[in-house]
Amino acid sequence: MSKQKIIINPLTRISGFMEVDVTVEKNNVVDVKTKGNMFRGFEQMLVGRSPFDAVYFTQRICGICSAAHSMASSLALEDALGIEAVEQGRYLRDIIHCCEFLQNHIRHTYQYTVPDFVKIEQNPLFQSDHDDFRIPKTASDRISKHYFESLTISRLAHQMLAVLGGKAPHNHGVFIGGVTTQVNADIVVKLASILKQVTQFIEQKMIPDVYEIAAYYPEYYRLGGGYGNLLTFGAFDQYKELGTLYVDPLVSMSRGVEPFDETKIKEKIDYSWYRSTDEEYKPDETMPEPDRGKKTSYSWVKAPRYDGKPMEVGPLARLILSNEYTNGISAMDRTLARALEAQKIAGIMKTLLGQVVPGVDVQKKYTLPNEAEGRGLTDTTRGALGHWLKIKGKKLSFYQIITPSTWDFSTKDDQGYRGIAEEALMGTPIQNVDQPAEVGRILRSFDPCMSCATHVFVPGKKVKTIQVF
Amino acid sequence: MSGYILPPEPMTNEAVAERLTNAAVSRIQNGLIKKQNLIYLELNGCSGNIISLLNGQNPDFEYMVNSMVNLRYSNSLMASEGEQAMEKLLAASQDEYILAVEGAVALRDNGLYNVIGTLNGKPLTGLEAVTMLGQKASRILAVGACATHGGVSAAKPNPSESVGLQRVLPEKEIIKLPGCPVNPDWFLGTLAHLLLYGVPETDNLGRPLMFYSTLIHDRCPRRPFFDKGIFAEKLGDKTCLFKLGCRGPVTRIDCPTRQWNGHVNWPIGANTPCIGCTQFGFPDAMAPFITYDTTRVVKDE
Repeated sequence: MSKQKIIINPLTRISGFMEVDVTVEKNNVVDVKTKGNMFRGFEQMLVGRSPFDAVYFTQRICGICSAAHSMASSLALEDALGIEAVEQGRYLRDIIHCCEFLQNHIRHTYQYTVPDFVKIEQNPLFQSDHDDFRIPKTASDRISKHYFESLTISRLAHQMLAVLGGKAPHNHGVFIGGVTTQVNADIVVKLASILKQVTQFIEQKMIPDVYEIAAYYPEYYRLGGGYGNLLTFGAFDQYKELGTLYVDPLVSMSRGVEPFDETKIKEKIDYSWYRSTDEEYKPDETMPEPDRGKKTSYSWVKAPRYDGKPMEVGPLARLILSNEYTNGISAMDRTLARALEAQKIAGIMKTLLGQVVPGVDVQKKYTLPNEAEGRGLTDTTRGALGHWLKIKGKKLSFYQIITPSTWDFSTKDDQGYRGIAEEALMGTPIQNVDQPAEVGRILRSFDPCMSCATHVFVPGKKVKTIQVF
Repeated sequence: MSGYILPPEPMTNEAVAERLTNAAVSRIQNGLIKKQNLIYLELNGCSGNIISLLNGQNPDFEYMVNSMVNLRYSNSLMASEGEQAMEKLLAASQDEYILAVEGAVALRDNGLYNVIGTLNGKPLTGLEAVTMLGQKASRILAVGACATHGGVSAAKPNPSESVGLQRVLPEKEIIKLPGCPVNPDWFLGTLAHLLLYGVPETDNLGRPLMFYSTLIHDRCPRRPFFDKGIFAEKLGDKTCLFKLGCRGPVTRIDCPTRQWNGHVNWPIGANTPCIGCTQFGFPDAMAPFITYDTTRVVKDE
């Protein structure tokens, strides 16, 4: 039997636009290309803007994980301005971040993942085309019902975010120094009350539902593994009084677990639609330009590497690196990890809520240095997120963003390494090439966000902004 | 009673309400009002508007898809993928449909900076899709800042050469719902108006007056501070944010009264300036969003 090529475009139920091209021989995947199919060029847009505006501007990269970018840009600005957020500021900011984790994980699990395994009878839009539905009717109907129930719960998660952040998506509350809001008992008890509902849903419905799915699709514990290199920038870690509530910055490679070292990050563009003097550079160094005509390339996503290796990021990486999950690395483990992490995050949020002091105003009147550099590295819903910025003449002169989906959905590189998701698909048996359900199931286990993954810095003319006042 | 002239029908409130309800029910039963098809297209943007729609409450998203419209296409939510998804888009385009678009239209390299699928072995760009679907749509809604005028996707220097929907559909009447993102009520309310009463009254820029008529400044709860000249000096302050760059005085939208996420808060409620996200020209015309030195400090004499 000769080789067959399968193209899935669009890969729906993700954020943004993605195509996957899979080559199949004897019903096994022998080659894969994941392709980011959109480009806007945020880094280029940021050059010349007021550094303060980065916090609200970069959130517009992504509608489902906008608070993540407000976190990373605030951290980068604090680094550049030499400001350390006080603990009360950190607590409230991290509570906002927790709300986004909850919203994102619930929506990814029910709206994006569940239709791969469960036939949702209520509406034809939510019914997959393949016929590999194995869960018995009673359980299947229950999970379908939770698909709709979950909409209320994820909405509540965003409502909690708005209570502190003003609105969601694209909040205003996260800023340099922590947050702009001050809490009182009324707000604390409101959040605690909503959080309880959200937690109950996660514990009583979401986690049992994913285990139910796992029970009927056990081969997915063996599919979608990949290289097994794991990376986290740390999440809810190193509080002065509370210590680390989740995970410190760590990596795991063949030689074992070790502390994360940011100098080992490089980005490659051999197979991405960008050109530059170097095909490999450190995040704060070089500025590739978009070039859709570059012949060797196939994606808008670049290829970040740690110590030369592609690294998996996300909930499963975090749970393994924090020694809270030991089952393995596979598509099903990722899906389980996302639900288990939602429970973990709800617990962290409860702890942080218990620490907040009413009426503390952490904001100050900030002044901009003439020249400075900063970077903000933090783990967010999908994994490790980094913002690197430079200020010159009180304006942004450089901005680089490496998102979690850039790590997981990178292209191959000059050393012959594939991207994490590409490698995860290699060798996958495809039962029916006309309905390759396996491909989407494995890719969605990573929670791809192509809105985030496709960015670049380009040297451009200074942007003249219009002063209204 | 014979000496009185009776009106043709009882005019009490209850009777009027009953009559309207009966009329609506019978019209649905007779097939005079039918559930319309909705094609929801995501183009070059962050997909934040569909996420915002999921945040809707009364009506919520579930009510929209179950009772208001047949949602036929949504990249974020539909179960079908690849070829089958494209087939569903084509099939939906054969019927009558309302077209809602979020995200900007990328023009660079004939639209290749935003590919939304593969059709007949070739990339289907956002530009091609919206040009094709826009011609036949019964109504067109531009949802969020990127669709109404390019928004953040078209921010300088606009590397993808993104534009708003009207630029590629110049002849079409487009209802514009700017905002970053759109508030779910603005979208669902406009959709309800279309279904129940037809096109809502709009301003000269195509924005429904039911939401976009009044300046934030005119209804801002912090207006008394403005009037008394008490101004915030930093984010987090509880007074008027005008001198930090608040765009409330030029931004027409109902945020002060409607608020967000189940009406719990809004940017000014979070002690931060409005950044004018419902204004055409956002973000460039509204930048810088935050400034600590908009005015000179006058020392007391």
